[in-house]
Amino acid sequence: MLDFLDNPATLAGANRDPDGDMHAADFDPVGMAPTEFAHPTFSVPAIADPVAFLKHQTGVDAKNRIKIQHGTTTLAFKFNHGVIVAVDSRATGGSYIASQTVKKVIEINPYLLGTMAGGAADCSYWERELGRRCRIYELNNKERISVAAASKLLANMVYAYKGMGLSMGTMVTGWDKTGPQLYYVDSDGQRLKSDLFSVGSGSTYAYGVLDAGYKPDLTPEEAIDLGRRAIVHATFRDAYSGGYVSVYHVKENGWEFISRTDVNDLIYQYQAEEKPSLV
Amino acid sequence: MPATAPATTTTTSPAAVKSMFPQAKSLSMASSAKPALSLQADTKSVATRSIAPESIKSTTSTSTQQSLTARALFEVLLGITGKDFVLTASDDTCARGIVVQKRGEDKSRALNKNNLMLFTGEAGDTTQFAEYIQCNTQLYRIRNGMDLSTRAVSSYVRKELATSLRSRHPYTVNLLIGGVDPKTGTPELYWLDYLSSCVKLNYAAHGYASYFCMSTMDRYWKPELSVEEAISLLKKCLAELKVRFIGNLPNFVVKITDKDGIREIEI
Amino acid sequence: MNGNIEHRFSPYTDNGGTTLAIAGEDFCVVAGDTRQSEGYLINSRYSPKVYHLHNNTVLATGGMHADGVALVKRIGQNLDWYVHKHDKDMSAQALAQMLSTILYSKRFFPYYVWNTLGGLDENGKGCVFSYDPVGNFEKLHWSASGSAGHLLQPFLDNQIGHKHQSNVEHHLLPLDKVLKIVKDAFNGATERDIYTGDFVEIFIITKDGVKVEKHDLKKD
Repeated sequence: MLDFLDNPATLAGANRDPDGDMHAADFDPVGMAPTEFAHPTFSVPAIADPVAFLKHQTGVDAKNRIKIQHGTTTLAFKFNHGVIVAVDSRATGGSYIASQTVKKVIEINPYLLGTMAGGAADCSYWERELGRRCRIYELNNKERISVAAASKLLANMVYAYKGMGLSMGTMVTGWDKTGPQLYYVDSDGQRLKSDLFSVGSGSTYAYGVLDAGYKPDLTPEEAIDLGRRAIVHATFRDAYSGGYVSVYHVKENGWEFISRTDVNDLIYQYQAEEKPSLV
Repeated sequence: MPATAPATTTTTSPAAVKSMFPQAKSLSMASSAKPALSLQADTKSVATRSIAPESIKSTTSTSTQQSLTARALFEVLLGITGKDFVLTASDDTCARGIVVQKRGEDKSRALNKNNLMLFTGEAGDTTQFAEYIQCNTQLYRIRNGMDLSTRAVSSYVRKELATSLRSRHPYTVNLLIGGVDPKTGTPELYWLDYLSSCVKLNYAAHGYASYFCMSTMDRYWKPELSVEEAISLLKKCLAELKVRFIGNLPNFVVKITDKDGIREIEI
Repeated sequence: MNGNIEHRFSPYTDNGGTTLAIAGEDFCVVAGDTRQSEGYLINSRYSPKVYHLHNNTVLATGGMHADGVALVKRIGQNLDWYVHKHDKDMSAQALAQMLSTILYSKRFFPYYVWNTLGGLDENGKGCVFSYDPVGNFEKLHWSASGSAGHLLQPFLDNQIGHKHQSNVEHHLLPLDKVLKIVKDAFNGATERDIYTGDFVEIFIITKDGVKVEKHDLKKD
């Protein structure tokens, strides 16, 4: 009799939110997707081409521009002792530095990390949603989700919105039954597995330092230093990156927060050091 | 727009949009939810393309997805048929903008024991489409107890691409499908593009590589090539790419598909 | 430009105005001017854009006034439902996350609003949350946004954060000092920003509730 009460959609009243915006019912073409994995719904303007509308409103020539926060350098690499993740902390809206203290490493759960590059809201929203889904997976299966599966959940979620203007470049890392894992996932739906990635406007600079100093048999201390240095050099050359360097180390029993250091202090510290010999 | 119309709505059927915007150009795209891509038009197919709440999508096609991205043209796919096998090669590079993001990527999926599909194209679309096709060819085997032939699978893929092309959000992928008849060993190679052309060829290439390699293969290919001969021809093609092609592609994933299955080889 | 873009559909306007929030040890101050304008026209000298929500938090909305009103109405309804369901007020942290989710639910048709939320956290300490229009948010000790946000933020960084000053103690300021800084900030912003002026409303959140002060700003 009262089973409509179990359905949050009917309870909410014909999918209408308090603004009067209507929402499409969760799209489930096969009719078998569990509701906890259904797509969230979003309202859109009642016009022929909402994609062009949003693109215009967020573009540089819009009269009332919606500046979405952007800009980043992030990196992650696998080595013999796990995965190192290092990121900067600057958020920019156009040329304005909106924040120097952004947390760009998203702690999905105690053994999974995600990084944030591109639209800050896109990254934090979808990685939070990923965290929820990973938890539901755990409750259903009595075991932790693999990093491969978690990253694919994220890739499939954002692929469903391909072409709608999402902007996300993220690395998903963790340690599962198969060892340390590192995946790159972006809002194109691209999902890659590799040993080393850098994402964001400063990524080429980070690669320049990282590739030159990387080898799999680095000690944890060396690896942490390499990741931190790569970010610092990126912030030195890329105006959209800066603030603080945060470093995380993914180990067998979960990730560990290593450090958060003012980039400015490190630049002076590195400049005072002798350059390494080349030959 | 009538004054009573809601400020926002997610059910933007073309008719509704037209009534709200009489001046809007006629909208040719279907308003109904995109048919779930599946092997059969039923609801049991394993893999349906994961789709956002359909109605939030634009009723006009998105212009960004229509043409092949420049990046895809730098990707190399090659295929050569031999006596009783198909030799295929794909570059192993994933690039985005000016950055190489990964070396060592395998741009192919085994559809079944004797059929291999190689793909290039729009990031995201490629693996989504390939794995979708892979799932459905494997589902076919489970349901029918036998595999689709190379010809059948190519025809199926072509139809999927054709359907996709006429949807709001087409897959932008180019493909080579190579395989052999498991009984006779007869090799077949199909060249498909994102506009759903499908051609059976003795040798084929995708992207800029075709400008360099087709003439080489025209010159040297002959029927009934042995494995050694085919590898030699492939090496000539790859050597030409290394000499003349600006795209820096150091490594290729080379595979042989024959009666015994699909195997990767070093050349 | 392709023919798909409907230039006639322009649902946004910027009504200007500046908002600011500063956290203290056991209080939080949220303030905003009350001018509402559109281009060079001042629509109203007293159109408040800082709202006292009934869970002892205060939300400052900058940008488009209409979207701000719609958003606050929606949040208010959600807060009511929360009380009915859970028989307690929503915490500031929970509201902060909910606001982010609400903003993101309009990711493809955003509220044209820059929000700053102030309240007390679960330990009774002041907290400030700052948002972009699509729901990215960060917990801070102070934040300024709106039309003179870019003028006020470095001022607050200097006066409260003591950024790039040596031999200073870093701690949260007492209420009287904060109130002085807020008034100075708004007087300064009024001098240099045409969209800021008329009055400043200052909301002071403590465990005992929210007090509001209203002060004059220049009217030109």
